Amino acid sequence: MATISRPTWFNYLLLGLSVFLIFCLVFSAYIELPPLLNWLGKLHPLILHFPIVLLLGLALLALFKKHIPPALFRITVLSVLLTAISGFFLASEITDKGDLLVRHQWLGGGLAILSALWYAFEDEISQKKIIKNTFPGLIILLVLGTGHYGGMITHGEDFLDFPKMTSYGKIPENPMVYQDITARILDQNCVSCHNPNKKKGELLMTSISALQKGGKSGPAIIPKNAEESEIIRRLKLPKEDEEHMPPEGKKPLSQLEVDILEQWITYGASDTLQLYDLNEAEPLAVLIREFMAPDAASKWANFTPVADSTLERLGSDYLTINRISDQSNALAVDAYLPPEYDSKQILKLQTVSSNIVELDLSRLPLGEAEISLIAQCKNLEWLELDGTPVTDSLLDSLSVLSQLRFLKVYSTDITDKSIPFFKKLKNLKQLYLWDTGLSKEGLESLGELTPGLFINEGIEEPLKDFFINTDSIPTQHNSSLK
Amino acid sequence: MKGSNSKEENPLKVNRRHFFSQLSVGIGSIALGSLLIPDLFKGGGIETTDLSKLGIPHFAPKAKRIIYLFQAGAPSQFETFDHKPTLRKRMGEDLPESIRNGQRLTGMTSGQDKFPLMPPAIGFQQHGKSGQWISDYFPHIAKIADDICIVKSLHTEAINHDPAITFFQTGSQISGRPSMGSWLSYGLGSENKNLPSFVVLTSRGKGNSQGLYSKLWSSGFLDSKHQGVLLRSGKDPVLYLNDPDGITRSEKRHLLDQVSSLNKMHQVETGDDEIESRIAQYEMAYRMQMSVPDVMDISKEPEDIIKLYGEDCQVPGTYAANALQARRLAENGVRFIQLYHQGWDQHGNLPNEMAGQAIDVDKASAALVLDLKQRGMLEDTLVIWGGEFGRTNYCQGKFDPTNYGRDHHPRAFSIWMAGGGVKPGISYGETDEFGYNIIKDPVHINDFHATLMYAMGLDHEQLTYKYQGRRFRLTDVAGNVINDLLT
Repeated sequence: MATISRPTWFNYLLLGLSVFLIFCLVFSAYIELPPLLNWLGKLHPLILHFPIVLLLGLALLALFKKHIPPALFRITVLSVLLTAISGFFLASEITDKGDLLVRHQWLGGGLAILSALWYAFEDEISQKKIIKNTFPGLIILLVLGTGHYGGMITHGEDFLDFPKMTSYGKIPENPMVYQDITARILDQNCVSCHNPNKKKGELLMTSISALQKGGKSGPAIIPKNAEESEIIRRLKLPKEDEEHMPPEGKKPLSQLEVDILEQWITYGASDTLQLYDLNEAEPLAVLIREFMAPDAASKWANFTPVADSTLERLGSDYLTINRISDQSNALAVDAYLPPEYDSKQILKLQTVSSNIVELDLSRLPLGEAEISLIAQCKNLEWLELDGTPVTDSLLDSLSVLSQLRFLKVYSTDITDKSIPFFKKLKNLKQLYLWDTGLSKEGLESLGELTPGLFINEGIEEPLKDFFINTDSIPTQHNSSLK
Repeated sequence: MKGSNSKEENPLKVNRRHFFSQLSVGIGSIALGSLLIPDLFKGGGIETTDLSKLGIPHFAPKAKRIIYLFQAGAPSQFETFDHKPTLRKRMGEDLPESIRNGQRLTGMTSGQDKFPLMPPAIGFQQHGKSGQWISDYFPHIAKIADDICIVKSLHTEAINHDPAITFFQTGSQISGRPSMGSWLSYGLGSENKNLPSFVVLTSRGKGNSQGLYSKLWSSGFLDSKHQGVLLRSGKDPVLYLNDPDGITRSEKRHLLDQVSSLNKMHQVETGDDEIESRIAQYEMAYRMQMSVPDVMDISKEPEDIIKLYGEDCQVPGTYAANALQARRLAENGVRFIQLYHQGWDQHGNLPNEMAGQAIDVDKASAALVLDLKQRGMLEDTLVIWGGEFGRTNYCQGKFDPTNYGRDHHPRAFSIWMAGGGVKPGISYGETDEFGYNIIKDPVHINDFHATLMYAMGLDHEQLTYKYQGRRFRLTDVAGNVINDLLT
C-alpha cells in the first residue's frame, strides 16, 4: 500500500485534538464549559452519523485490501475526533452520568484515539500481517458498541426489546402502594424518558426521593399537596398543551392512573403504605382496587371465538345477540316475547353458552329447560329474570353461576327458600328483589348475611309516599325569599 | 355509446370495461396490502378486525340506551339548578359590562338600555347527602339529588331556538345533519328488531312554546332506517301502521311476501342496497303492528307505578305519560328515546309559567329515575334532562321581581344526567357569582356529545359517515370526552 502523504499542519491538528480529547476523558468531572461550547455539543447527534459511515467504509476497504484514498482517511479521522469532542460538550450538561452514558463515552473516546493512531501509524501497521486486519476489525466492533449505547441513550434502554418483553408480575393481594402500584404506573409511562441515562428536563422518576428532588421545573411531587405537584399539574393539562405529559405521540395515562397518582400524593406519597393499611372507603383504596380488578377485555380475552355467521344463525327477530364490544367474543343476549313463544329459540343458545356474559330474559315464560341452559352459561355476569315464572327450586340450580354479579328477580314468585341460593353466589354485587314472596324478615336476614351485596328492595316507602301524596306545586313559592 | 347507456340505467351494475379497469387497480392494491399486512390472506375463519364494523360498540359500553328528556324552549338555570345568591344581593343593579363583555344580545333585549339583575322568584335548598342546590320548583327532582349529576357549565354557540336545538340534536346549527339518536342507531344497531332504535315522544306545557320540527330527529344523510320514529298519542301511535279495515293479518303477510319477492327481483337487477333496507323496514312495520300496541298499552302497569309518575300519566300526550312510555320503550330495547316538552321559553311571566312547567315535568322526571333505579336499569340507561341554552341573569322587559322574563343566554346553562355510567350525586362545572360566565370546567355541546357517545361505547372520532366527499361525525371536528363525568 502506498505511503500516505501527511501534511504537517494536519498532523498537528490531529495531535492537538487527540490531546484535548484525552484531557476531556480524564478530567471530565472538573471541566466547566462556556455556554457556546455547551451549545455546540448539541451538534453531536447530527454529526455523529458521519464517522459511523466513514469509519465502517474505511475499515471495510482495509479488510478487503482496497486502496484507501488519503483525503478520505483524513476526513474520517477528523470527523471521529470532532464527534467525540462534541459528545463531551453535550454530556457536560449532565452531572450524574448513568451506566449507559459512561460506556458510550469511553467507547467513543477510545474509538477516536484508536482511529487517530491508525492514521498516524498506517505505514507500520500495513507492514505487519497480524495487526493489519485486527485494527479495522477492532474499529468495526467499537463503532457498533458506541452506536448501540448511544442509541439506547436517545431512544430508551428498551428500544430494541421485542414487543411485550417487559411483563410485570401479578400485583399481590395486599400491594405496597408505591412499589406495586405507583411505581408501576410511572415505570410504564414515564421512566423511559426520565431515567439515569435519559433525564429529560433533568428529572429522574425512579424513586420517591428523586421525584421530590425534581428537575428543571422544580419538585415533581410535593407530598400531601397534589395540586401543587408538578407531575399532577402536567398530567392534567389539556393534551394540546406543550407542557402536557406524556408528550405528544406517547400514550397518555388513563384517568384511573392519574387519580391514583393524585391520591397517593395527597396521602403523603409514602413508600411503606400498603393497601390493607387504608380504610376501605378511602378514595385511594377504592382506586387501587379498581386498578387491580381484571379489566373486562382481558377477563374475556380467552373466550372461544364465535363467528358472525353463528350469531346471525342463532339470532332472530325476537332474540338479539350482540358482542359486548368490537373484537370481543363476550356476548350480550336480549330476548323479547314473540307472539308465539317457543323455548327452542332460547335453547339454541347452547352452542355459545360459555360466551354469554349478559342475558336478559325478562318477562319470558321460562321453564325448566331454559333454566338449565342458563346454568350452562358459566361466564354469566348479568342475568335478568324479572317477571318470569321462575321458582325457588329452579333458581337453586343456578347457584353454579360463580361469576354472576348482577341479578334481577323482581316481580317473581320466589320466597324465603331462595335465601340460601343468593348466599351461594359469592360474586353477587347487586340484587333486585321486590314484588316477590320474600318476607321482610327474610330480606333482613339476607342483608345481614351478605355484607358486600347491594339489595334493591324497590323504592323506599317514605319516598314512594312522598311521590304519591305530594304534588309539584311549589309550596314555598315566594315565602323563602326574605 | 351502448356501454355508458346501460350504466346510466343501473349505476350499480358493472360492465366489462369498468370491471377490467377496477380489476387492475384492485389486484395492485391487494398485492400492496399483502406486503403491508402479512396476515391479510391468513384466513382462519375467525373475526376480521375491522374497526369500522357497525352495529357494535368500539369498547365495552357503560350505557346501552339513552332517555333524553329535552326541555324545549330552554328552562332558566337560575330557577332550576344554578343557585346564585349574588343576584338577590344585587337585585336591580345593572349587569356590569365587565361581565357581559360584549356578549351579543337577541333582538328581544338589544333595545334595552339597562340590564337589571333579577333573582329567582323562588328559594333554593340543598338536598340529599350530596347537598346539591335545587330550586323549590322541583320538590321531586330534589329527592333524587344523590342520583343525578348536575352539569352547570354547558355552553353553546347558538342564541336562538332553532339553531340551538338543531345544534344540540345534530352537532351543527344548520339543519341537515343526522340527529344524535340516528348516529347511535347507526353506530350500535338495534337491541330489539321489533321496534325502531330511535323513538320520539312530544308533549306540550302551557308556557310560551317554540316549534318542534321533524328535522330534529331526521337521519340526515344516514340510511333512513336510523330516523327517529315519532310515536303519537292516541289511537294510532305510528301513522299508517295499522291495516285498513277488512284486511286480516294473514292477508297482510301474503301481500308482504309478494311485494318482497318483487323487490328482491328489482334488487338483483340494480344491486341497490337501499332496496334491502326497504324490505327490512316492511318486515319491521309488520312486527311493529304487534309490538307497538303492546309497548304503548299501560293498562297492566300497577297502581303504585301510575301514582308514582302522577295520575297525568294515564292521559295520553302528557309529559308524565311519555315518561312512563319511555321506561317501557327502554325495557323493550329502544336505544334512544327522545322526549320533548315544549313551553320553557319564558321571556315574560316567568314565575307563573315556570311553576306550570315544573308541575308538568318535576314528578314524572324524578319518578322515571326512581323507577329505572328499582329495575336496575339505571345501571345501563342514561337519563338526560335539559334545554338548548340558558337564560339571562338580568330581566327582560319591565323590572318586576314577581313577574319578570329572561332572554336567551348561550354562555352557561345547567342540565342533569343520571345513570348509564355518569357519576351520581355530583355537580360539575361552575359559573361566576352572576351565573353569567363559566369559571370552571366548561362543557361544550361537542364535548357533551363526545361524552355521551363514550358512555355508549363509541369513539366519537371513529364513528364517521362519508358523504359528499368527506367523513362526517356527530362532533364534526371538535369535542373531548369529559372523563370526570363518568364513573
